[in-house]
Amino acid sequence: MYRQGDILIMPVPEESAPRTLRPEPRDARGRLILAHGEATGHCHAIPGPGTLSGGFLHLPEGGRLVHEEHAAISLPKGWYRVIRQREYVPGSHRVVAD
Amino acid sequence: MATLTWERVAMATGPGEDPEAAVRQAYRETGLAEPDNVLVLPSPAAGAVAAAWLTGGDTVRRALEEAGLGASPEPDDQGAAASQESRDQGAAALRRSVGAALRSWEALGDPGRSVRDAVRTVPWERARSAAYAELGPVGWAALWDETGGRLWPQVNRLVNDIRREIAELGGEELRQATLDAVLGQHDAPWLSAFEGLDGLKRTAERAGWWWPFERLAIITERPVELHLDDLGRLHRADGPAMSYSDGFTLHAWHGMPVPADFGAAMSDLTVERIREEANAELRRAMLEHFGLDRYLAESGAKPVHSDETGVLWRVELPDDEPLAMVEVVNSTPEPDGTSRTYFLRVPPWVRRAREGVAWTFGVAEEDYRPERET
Repeated sequence: MYRQGDILIMPVPEESAPRTLRPEPRDARGRLILAHGEATGHCHAIPGPGTLSGGFLHLPEGGRLVHEEHAAISLPKGWYRVIRQREYVPGSHRVVAD
Repeated sequence: MATLTWERVAMATGPGEDPEAAVRQAYRETGLAEPDNVLVLPSPAAGAVAAAWLTGGDTVRRALEEAGLGASPEPDDQGAAASQESRDQGAAALRRSVGAALRSWEALGDPGRSVRDAVRTVPWERARSAAYAELGPVGWAALWDETGGRLWPQVNRLVNDIRREIAELGGEELRQATLDAVLGQHDAPWLSAFEGLDGLKRTAERAGWWWPFERLAIITERPVELHLDDLGRLHRADGPAMSYSDGFTLHAWHGMPVPADFGAAMSDLTVERIREEANAELRRAMLEHFGLDRYLAESGAKPVHSDETGVLWRVELPDDEPLAMVEVVNSTPEPDGTSRTYFLRVPPWVRRAREGVAWTFGVAEEDYRPERET
């Protein structure tokens, strides 16, 4: 389990990741974007090989999680669930914007 | 007339130059006969009342009368008494001017059927299909991203805010009437993506919302004032965030509709004033403006638990659920070497700091064990 700011990357067994979802496209710089910062435009991204679909991240060769304001984190190869931090709002909750 | 960008068209204020000519052009371009009469009214609220009154049946008129928006003489006498809850004196002024105008409009007779589809929807759909056929799905998506897609969220929020305020004034009947409007300046996001449609574009450059009927066009003016925050949401502390010349106003605090005196109260907030606020939405805006961390400090809140993930704070709020917050420190220092502390609200049942931080990620307390944090 790894945390970079408002993102938690949780290892999961391969079987738990759904197969039917379409992988999300990479951005103009060729990165997988795990989350955009709404206020700053900064984002949590994976520059290397891998796929992201439906909140599940697959890194067949391992990878590096980068962000403009946080130190990079090395991730071993495997499957992960990407969780965005949230805040409690009475009656519901909302996603934290960094 | 200076050429405005589409963003400026959407946010323009003040009366536009000769909107009637632009609307007549829009009718002509679609092959319709021009309307016999054109009414120019001061606000979308007045336009909605006019459209509902002139085309609705007895039920609609009765509902409007009950809301103090009828054509009966001196509607504000009963209206003012019936609308003690009205947001400010602007609503009374609006009722007076709408009432007087309604009595004179009735002489115009039957406006005929709505021609909104013919004037707007059909040519609009034709322009969209043409663009789509020429560009293909990817090209159209790229064009939309470059044009309307950038403006749409902000303008759409404004349109919804206006609709909500009009419904506050006259109820569901009036809100329904707003759905029959062509949005004039607020159609800017769509029009920015289309070729042609010159009459509609010219109208957007000169008018607010408008209602096209066979024999009558009801045009409304743009707001007199419009104040937005840096995220493009309606916001103003010392007066209405949006106001029209007939007294139709929207008061808002960072996009949230608020009572007329709310903004002024924000400049001298105290812990006591926040505690006394009965409306939870308004109290939340007050808390955010005051600063949650300052509130914790000044309200004498006590840290109830701390561990290596952070500190859990808790404040009892009268007649409301307690305020529970985790104070956490960013692991990566700022460029100046300091670490940024921030507060996140968590559910009131949380009792331990780790439990609170784990909740913010939707995982169980015992499962929250990051091996690396930055």
